[in-house]
Amino acid sequence: MKDWFNKGEHWIWMSSSMVSISVVLVMGLIGMIAYKGALHFWPHAVYEYQVQHNGQIETVIGELRDYKTRDITDSQTGKERELTQYLIKIGNRDVYGIDFRWINDSDFTSGMDTLSKNAIVIERYEYGNVYGHLVSANIGGQKIVDSDVLLDEFKKQVEQSSETRDKIRSIEKYDIGAINYAIEQLRFEEKKLRLKDAFTPEEAKRIEAERAKLQARFHEYQDQTAILYKQLNASGDVTVEIAGGKTLTIPIKKVVDFWLPNNMNLMEKLGFFGHTLGNFLLDDPREANTEGGIFPAMIGTITMVLLMTILVTPMGVIAAIYMREYAKDGPLLRMVRISINNLAGVPSIVFGIFGLGFFVYILGGSIDELFYGYALPSPTFGTPGLLWAALTMALLTLPVVIVSTEEGLSRIPRSLREGGLALGATKSETIMKIVLPMATPAIMTGLILAIARAAGEVAPLMLVGVVKLAPELPVDSITPFVHLDRKFMHLGFHIYDVGFQSPNVEASQPLVYATSLLLVVIIVGLNLGAITIRNRLREKYKALD
Amino acid sequence: MSEKNLSISLDREDRVMSLENEKIAIQVKDWNLYYGKKQALNNITMDVPEHRVTAFIGPSGCGKSTLLRCFNRMNDLIDIVKVDGEMTLHGDDMYAKNMDVASLRRRVGMVFQKPNPFPKSIYENVCYGLRLQGITDKNTLDESVEWALKGAGLWDEVKDRLDENALGMSGGQQQRLCIARAIAIKPEVLLLDEPTSALDPISTLAIEELIFELKKDFTILIVTHNMQQAARVSDYTAFMYMGDLIEYTDTDSLFTNPQVKRTEDYITGRYG
Repeated sequence: MKDWFNKGEHWIWMSSSMVSISVVLVMGLIGMIAYKGALHFWPHAVYEYQVQHNGQIETVIGELRDYKTRDITDSQTGKERELTQYLIKIGNRDVYGIDFRWINDSDFTSGMDTLSKNAIVIERYEYGNVYGHLVSANIGGQKIVDSDVLLDEFKKQVEQSSETRDKIRSIEKYDIGAINYAIEQLRFEEKKLRLKDAFTPEEAKRIEAERAKLQARFHEYQDQTAILYKQLNASGDVTVEIAGGKTLTIPIKKVVDFWLPNNMNLMEKLGFFGHTLGNFLLDDPREANTEGGIFPAMIGTITMVLLMTILVTPMGVIAAIYMREYAKDGPLLRMVRISINNLAGVPSIVFGIFGLGFFVYILGGSIDELFYGYALPSPTFGTPGLLWAALTMALLTLPVVIVSTEEGLSRIPRSLREGGLALGATKSETIMKIVLPMATPAIMTGLILAIARAAGEVAPLMLVGVVKLAPELPVDSITPFVHLDRKFMHLGFHIYDVGFQSPNVEASQPLVYATSLLLVVIIVGLNLGAITIRNRLREKYKALD
Repeated sequence: MSEKNLSISLDREDRVMSLENEKIAIQVKDWNLYYGKKQALNNITMDVPEHRVTAFIGPSGCGKSTLLRCFNRMNDLIDIVKVDGEMTLHGDDMYAKNMDVASLRRRVGMVFQKPNPFPKSIYENVCYGLRLQGITDKNTLDESVEWALKGAGLWDEVKDRLDENALGMSGGQQQRLCIARAIAIKPEVLLLDEPTSALDPISTLAIEELIFELKKDFTILIVTHNMQQAARVSDYTAFMYMGDLIEYTDTDSLFTNPQVKRTEDYITGRYG
């Protein structure tokens, strides 16, 4: 045993066990998020329970989502006993008022595992899911009751109506959006001309003509959508029998999708999983973000992080070059270095406040006055937006980039610099052509850390540009393609908003896990990209010996 | 290879070496150098002959490398170094206020102790100095690269892989590449700071032969720890000790008939 200690084996055991604990923790974290998130997309079985409520037996149809066990003292017998409560998602919010119901184990009068035969789940654009049994459909004035035809017809109608809906959305969002943008630009043009006193009658005529043209096109689109809306309204409705024998009539235009989870085999379930996952990634959020997808938040996060990278790289690298290569070593440089290191420790919300006060109000305000005076008093850059968020994040991550770049520069062997200088290169030529390229792997390391930090930050972003729901994406097909002045959505904020600010926390819980998983995946993805580039650079500039 | 080496030594015995008969490339007068308060070179005065190999020998820390680095102002990089005295290259004051250091270094090339090729292709390494001078014409570059690599005795080994990374070469090849890189810009003087100390005997021999070839075109100054090497390759040898230039004369006289006791002690191996 003594021998064992003398060899230092205990240190090896200790450090290896610490490593395994860390690995287990990280795996557990990812595993839990992945499991809970994936559950959101999996079709849950729908059960039928008989429940005693106020002395009466009632039927409850829904998904079993959760259960909790705790010890209570029975009020009648005075004995300790275990109480299990089950969380059932019952849906039908328009009828019951709430989607979820906690039921005590003692209230169940039937078994817990009775599948509801042929139960249908209908996802709606409003009021969440419907759980029940399909009774009939009314399509094109024809009532269909035959169960074989019923589902097929229903499916067809839902597909048709969502197609129509997509068309309407595309027209409203892109075509009418572009017209609105053009009209806004015209208004600015007029305002500009008026400010310059150059608003001649000819100009007025020209602008008026253009505006009339745009208006005409707008009306055209409006007519188109009117027809589509009519089609949508004519898509009929379905009648569903919900728990307790009530019936519910649902217009097909309100239906997102429907499925019969209890009749699915494994392949169908997997297909459903992929389908909902795709929708989650590519759809806009609905119902105050608690339903639908997270596409805008994903795009917002990626755009912001990339823009931040573009901003922070030159700032950090140039600062590091000055400090490492040119500045004279002394108390001043040491102070600057300490300050930069401490900057990394400043709470991120402070950066948010600074961004709001300096970037948004002072810088943005001045930019508006100088270049966008015609749009005032409505601000262009004088309000939180993508550019300011990216700049604030760049500032937040600047210390990381500076420190790692400096580290990289200091590792370039002196002999290489001398080699460059001895060939008649000036100092700046040596730095630009030899030292800096060799330091790129270190710069990439800094960027990797910066990306991880910026993508995960929430607090400062809330102040400088992230919103709960952005009407437009920060990148689109209208020039200049990246709209630096726009507000955007962000996954981190989305998680906070959905998880803690939504009216329906139970319903959105799985969404929170799924969004977290996506955020982790995006950060890992961005980092893997950066790491691949770094490894390639390392190979290219592998240090001497 | 050994046969050729023999011919080198025979060659030299035929010639009578004397500083008085030489054209002078670099003139050093009352040269002092200080690291902060510590003086590292004391009143060095010497003439370096043109198109000859001049070797600097002496124990570690005697200042021979420091002196060599004065010839292309490499010591400028160290903040605490102060110098005084006179140093001229073909009559031009090397430490004049209006002297452009970069252009001086183009006239005085240098090869370092450890091979330090840039992490670029062989081709790019050799033409780096030319590109710095703004030469972009492909033909000119190709010719210069070929000339320099031939001059460094490397052409036959690398002509088929000029685009490969220079770091993939052997140590000896890397050092010859560094020599090629230095001569590609056609300097007047070539400084070699212990160029073979990191190499194996065969690579060392290759470089020594190369030095013999190169002195036709360049004035060569070499710092070496290895006295046999100094005796083999140099025409003149300077022995330095504790920052002083103890003895400086033609190589044969210095090794066969040293005038100062210290020199004798050193070359006979009594200290060093």
